[in-house]
This record gives sequence, structure tokens and C-alpha cells, in this order.
Amino acid sequence: MNKHHSANPAGPHGPTVAPLRAQARDGASAHGQAAATTAVTTATTAAGVQRVRPATAPDHEAVAASAGGVLLKAVGLKKDYHKGKHVVPVLRGVDLEVRQGELLAVIGQSGSGKSTLLHLLATLDRPDEGEIWFNGQRIDNASTRQRDRLRNRHLGMIFQFYHLLPELTALENVLAPLMITHGFFSYRLQRRRLVERAKALLETVGLGHRLKHRPREMSGGEMQRAAIARALITEPQILLADEPTGNLDGRTGQGIMELLRSLNTQSNLTIVMVTHDSAIASQADRVVQLVDGQVSDS
Amino acid sequence: MYKFLLCWRYLRTRWIALASIISVTLGVATMIVVNAVMAGFTQEMQDRIRGILSDVSFEARSFNGFRDPEYHMREIEKIVGDEIEVMTPTVTVPAMLSFQLHGEWNTRPVQLIGIPRDAMQYASKFRQYLQHPKHREQFRFELQETGYDLRDRHGGEDAPLRVRMETAGMVHRRNMIEYRRQWEQQLAGKPLPHAEQTVNDDSQPANDVVDPFAAVERPLDPFAARNDAAQADPAAPLTGCVLGIGLVSYRHNGAEHFLVLPGDDIQLTFPTAGTPPKAVSDTFTVVDLYESKMTEYDSSFIFVPLDKLQELRGMFDRESGTTFVTSIQIKLKDESRGSIVRDKLQAAFPPHFYSVSTWRDKQGPLLAAVEMETAILNMLLFLIIAVAGFGILAIFFMIVVEKTKDIGILKSLGAHGSGIMGIFLSYGLSLGLVGAGAGMVLGLLFVRHINEIRIWLGNLTGQMVFDPSIYYFYEIPTSVNPWTVAWIVIGALAIAVAASVMPALRAARLHPVEALRYE
Ligand SMILES: Nc1ncnc2c1ncn2[C@@H]1O[C@H](COP(=O)(O)OP(=O)(O)OP(=O)(O)O)[C@@H](O)[C@H]1O
Ligand SMILES: [Mg+2]
Repeated sequence: MNKHHSANPAGPHGPTVAPLRAQARDGASAHGQAAATTAVTTATTAAGVQRVRPATAPDHEAVAASAGGVLLKAVGLKKDYHKGKHVVPVLRGVDLEVRQGELLAVIGQSGSGKSTLLHLLATLDRPDEGEIWFNGQRIDNASTRQRDRLRNRHLGMIFQFYHLLPELTALENVLAPLMITHGFFSYRLQRRRLVERAKALLETVGLGHRLKHRPREMSGGEMQRAAIARALITEPQILLADEPTGNLDGRTGQGIMELLRSLNTQSNLTIVMVTHDSAIASQADRVVQLVDGQVSDS
Repeated sequence: MYKFLLCWRYLRTRWIALASIISVTLGVATMIVVNAVMAGFTQEMQDRIRGILSDVSFEARSFNGFRDPEYHMREIEKIVGDEIEVMTPTVTVPAMLSFQLHGEWNTRPVQLIGIPRDAMQYASKFRQYLQHPKHREQFRFELQETGYDLRDRHGGEDAPLRVRMETAGMVHRRNMIEYRRQWEQQLAGKPLPHAEQTVNDDSQPANDVVDPFAAVERPLDPFAARNDAAQADPAAPLTGCVLGIGLVSYRHNGAEHFLVLPGDDIQLTFPTAGTPPKAVSDTFTVVDLYESKMTEYDSSFIFVPLDKLQELRGMFDRESGTTFVTSIQIKLKDESRGSIVRDKLQAAFPPHFYSVSTWRDKQGPLLAAVEMETAILNMLLFLIIAVAGFGILAIFFMIVVEKTKDIGILKSLGAHGSGIMGIFLSYGLSLGLVGAGAGMVLGLLFVRHINEIRIWLGNLTGQMVFDPSIYYFYEIPTSVNPWTVAWIVIGALAIAVAASVMPALRAARLHPVEALRYE
């Protein structure tokens, strides 16, 4: 695991540095950068920001990000659920800043809207009000296609219930995001390399011996490790974790926490983790609380 | 990429979906079989019709016909000469056929057709339908010594033998004369040499029964009314004629019985060409039987030499030396241009005197009926496949519901709605391919072995599945048109895909968060 994410600060391609790109570097750095560039420029267009920037002019957001500044930012997020005529306000103006390279825990009671918040940050849902900025681009109002692309290439997600695809083996589950990225032929061409990468990643999360296992043949801890590997295979800039230990016993959960911690420190992976378990949350760099639909530092 | 992987995995783990495709398989198979059999029937029938009808016939509307066929042929030549292979003048009149059966006269309505003696060019298969191998090579209305086919040429190997055909020809003729002579001797009171009686056949009365009509039939006895030349040699044949086999044979208990054989004499009565028409009759010797297996023709047509018919009907003009015919049969170089030729000729000749028609026009109702049947059957069968489509739809909806969470996961990983849709569309397509492919193989195999299956079914149930005595086919004719098969398969595929569109759309439109929260 290298930690040279700042090798490319504010380069002409913008802020495209991600951890865990080490394996890909040797063969496909151009490809990786090109992909990231596309994502950022398209997002720019969607946000209505001037698309063409002088190649040499430093983007101040990008500089901030690569310098350990704000990677992900939520401003005044509001989200209601409508149940018939009932309006259930869940988020009532959430402001949140996630800095590059930190492990942030969002703690809140069950039903406080943690998952809702995470889904908004992950662009799986749209806020009723407010803005979300990622890498200096506004992403909450981007088009569906752009958000799909963002999720696929720049965001990693893990869930309380692992959410692996039951028909696929651990290895195939990890490869799934890459299969989504690449078309049939492009994937076939690079298959060998991508599979090697997935195997290495499964090795990293401690699942080297479970490659051919289906989810139902694995324990909860193993499934969560596979899910983490899947989230990281595309070398995202940020990992969003929704109660990653919520369904695990204390020791297994602790194992997962340690894995996340080591990914954070060794690969400089930014992690946002929501949990209701304060023991877990206490291991984070920073903890914020979600109460009454708003975030407060604790 | 994930589309194909997931589609494949879903296929492999959900064999139940194949159940929904079985009806597609059966539908496709049935459609292929039905179309092949119907096409086989149609083709067989068209072949037979074309065997006897010429491509285009140019006919007078009057039985008296038109004068000077050579002039007309020249005129036709001028209009559509490039298209024509050969033209044959013919005379067609309704007539009565009379022949003796068990001492009684038997009369039937027939269609009498006069064709040129060489008859080489008349309709494509005319000679092919005759019973004597030599006649199939060359036919001049001459009676053969013997050697008429014993086997039904259309019947195949298992058709019963026509034992009576063994003596048909001159041999039969002489036998009959000898038999008659002895009969007359017996009537005159002379003793009968017993051994000679075995030459008789079942179309003639048993010898020990005295025929009460014998006296009545005398004056009409064709052997009695004989011209001088024939009297010199009582066995010498008269003018030849060819009878449709259905006119003088019948089936009983699966066996064929012949009432008249080549070598027998028959009498024909028909109107003259004058006004008012008068009936004339003459005696002809049957030189061959005509068997096209088209019952309609086999039981109504009689062919005689054209010049003889013209002479008997008075269809010639002594002063100018011109003759009359009722029609000119035209054989084209390219049969498919029949309607073009017809239209050109019809435009050139006054329609109140002449009618021009193609063989298709003449058999229009029959062909149309078969076509209609095929169309309706196809429609019904296609409906079956369409119904199968609803089965696919239901099963697909279930699968989409079952896979809601997976769809949410895929979306959280960045899959587009279109990609998700692709999973289910390719799922439908694969199922359709499997179903239609299996149906195609099944249908084609069935068509290929249809006659074996028929025999096997017959043995199994103890009942004749396809009785040749009813259908006049010994084998079920089939004809597989690759385009028809292709269209059926494409149609089934389209239905399978169409049925998966709605569930696929639903899957594509699922909200990722709701799908993820789905339990
Ligand atoms: N589709 C929906 N329709 C109506 N209400 C909803 C819907 N989804 C969530 N809610 C409500 O929104 C609130 C927040 O839900 P959310 O899942 O974000 O909470 P959470 O903090 O993640 O809880 P947990 O710790 O149990 O996961 C809950 O009160 C829930 O009932
Ligand atoms: Mg939750």
C-alpha cells in the first residue's frame, strides 16, 4: 500500500488521487486518470460551473482536498419522507464536512436518519434541499448517469447487511464494480489483470482462502470483508460505511474496525462511518452526532 | 459485462423459468409442423393440378369453340410470344361415359377433352400420370399388349398391388372377346369348355347366372357395333381414350376394384357443335388410365384424340378446311408469369368470346381454402405462443421482485438503469432462444420423421392415423420453408423479449434506496 496520494496535486486533471491505486499504477495510470477526469468534468457541467478551466490555474478546491482539506461537504441537507399525507422530516439541515484522509464517525440513534444521510452523500437519493459537494463539484443535482458513474468510480459503500450478490462468488462480487465500469469486450481484454487485482485485494482484507465461496457459504465477518474489498476495487476516494459492524458480534466487529482503520492509515482512505455503537465510534478520528435531523460535533 | 454474468447465473439458478418457456417450445414446434404439413399438402396439390392444367388456358366461352386455332395461335404468339414454350389446341365438352358392368349399362357424367394425338406437350405431367411405362415415355393413344403398372406409383412400397392390371391391355381384350364368344355359344346351347372360364374377372357377371338384361344390352354392345376393319380382326382396338382412374375404380375394404381396364371398350356420348346441339356417341377403346390423385380430375376427365372429337362433333369447315377448338392450352417458360400473360391476352381478345385464365384461377377456391386454413391455424398457434408470453411476463415479474435487493446493490455500485434492464432483457432473450431453438429442433425432427411417427402411432393405437384410402396420399407430404421457420422463431423470440420488457423496465426504474431497504 503506498501513500503517495499527493503525487498529483492540482494537476491539469484535477483532484483525482485515490488510495489503493497502487496495483493499477504500473499498467493503467493513464486510464485511471482519464476516467477520473471525465467524471469530474461531467460533474462540473452538471453543476453549471464553467467547464473549461485553464490547465495551469490551480483549482482551489482541489488544492484544499489534496492538502487534507474538505473532500466531501454537505450544506443544509433536508430530507422528508412522505407517508400518505404524513410528512416525516428526517434530516432538517445537516451540515457536514469530511476532510481528506480522516475516519469520520456519525453516531445517532436508530431511526435518527443516519442511513438516509449516507444515501444522500452516496448520491443514491436526492435531498429535498441543500447541496452536496464532492471534490469541489456539486453532485446532488447531477444527472442520473453522472451519479451512477461517480458511485461506480469514486465512491465506495459498505452496508450493515453486506449486500453481496448471492449468485456470485466472493471474487465475482469484488469484480462486480469493474464489470459495471467496463463493457463486455473491454472487460474480457483486461480480465486477467483485473482478476489479479481483485485477488490481491481479497488477500489484503484477509479473504484469500474464500475466493470461490458464495455469500451463503461465508460468515458475517467474511461477507463484510468481501464487501469492503468490493467497495475498494475501483480505488475510490472515499468509503461510506453504514453500520459496518452493526450485524456482527463484538470481536468480529472489532476485526472489521481494525481493517478499516488500517486502510485509513496505510492507504490514506477517507472513511465516513455511521453507527449507533459509541464503542466503535470512539475509534474514529472524529465523531459527529446526528440528533433531531441535525449534526453536531460531540 | 455484469449483465451477461448475472443473466447467466439467474438462468442457471432458476430452472423454473424454463417451465414458462415450454409453451413457447411447444408452440414453435407445432407451428413448424403444421406449416410444413400444410405447405406439403398445398405443394402436392399444386403439383397435381399443374400436372393436368396448363399454365394458361385460352378458352372460347361457347361449346362450339372458335374457328381456326392456327390463326389464334399466331395472334397469341404476336402478343406474348416470348413467354410461351408451347401451345396446344384442345376441345373440351361435357359428355356421358357408358360402360357395361355385370351386364348392365353404367352411365356417368364426365368432362371430355380432345388433345392432339401425340399429346406430347399437353400439360406438364399428363403422361407421368399414365399407368403404362411406355406411355409415360411416348403416348399416341395406342393400346399396349400388356405391362401396365401393378403398383400405385404414388402409393409407395406398402401400397397394395393392383392384381387385375396384370392382364390389362391387348391380353385382357382378347380374353374378353374369347369369353364373350363362349358365352354366346353357351346361350346357343353348345357345351362350354370349363377350363376357359377362369379368364373372367369380377367386373363381369358370374357365368352360371343367366343375365336377364342380356337381350336388352345387345343393341348397345360395343363389340356388336363394329366397323369393317374391326370385324376382320375382332380384337383390333378402336380409337383410343384415356379414362380418369376414379371413373372406373372404387375402394372397398381397403382394396381397389376396377370396373374397366385398359383393353375394354367404352361408349361416349356428347353434344355436337351445331345449333341446336345433338347428341352423338361413339365407342372407344380404353388404352390407359389416368391417375393424378386429384380426385376431382381423376373422376371426371376423359382424354380422346382431338381430330376424332372434332370429326364427331362436326368442328370443321369443309369449304375452308379450317377446324374449330374450344381452347388453346399455353405452357409458359416461366409459370410465375401466368397472370401477366393472362392479362395481356385478355386485353387483346374480346372478353365476351374468350376467357383467359391461369391454372391458379381455375383452382383458386381450393388453393384459397388451404391458404385460409393455414392462416387461421397459424394465428391460433401464434396466440398460444402469445399466451406463453404472459407466463414469461408473470415469472419475470416474480424474479424482478425477488431480485429487488440485488438491483439496489447493483445501482449502489453504479450500474445504470439501462444495464439492469439489459440483464432482464437478455434473460428473456436467452429463454426465448432456448425455447424457440428447442421448438425448432423438435418441430423439424417431427416433420422429418412424421411418417414414422404416423406408423408408430397407428401401431400403438391400433388405428390408422392417416388413412390413405381417404386422403389418397400414402405418405404425409411435408415441405419445410426455411423462411417460415425463421419467421416463427423470430416471432417467438420477439414475444419472449416483449414479455420481459415490462419487468425489465420496472427493474430499471426501481429507486436504489427503496430497493436496498427492501426485505
Ligand atoms: N421510505 C420511507 N418512507 C417513510 N419513512 C421512512 C422511509 N425510509 C426511512 N424512513 C424513516 O426515516 C427515518 C430514518 O431512517 P434511517 O433508516 O435513515 O434511520 P437510521 O438512523 O439509519 O436507523 P437504523 O439505525 O435503524 O439504521 C426512520 O424513522 C424511518 O422510519
Ligand atoms: Mg440505518
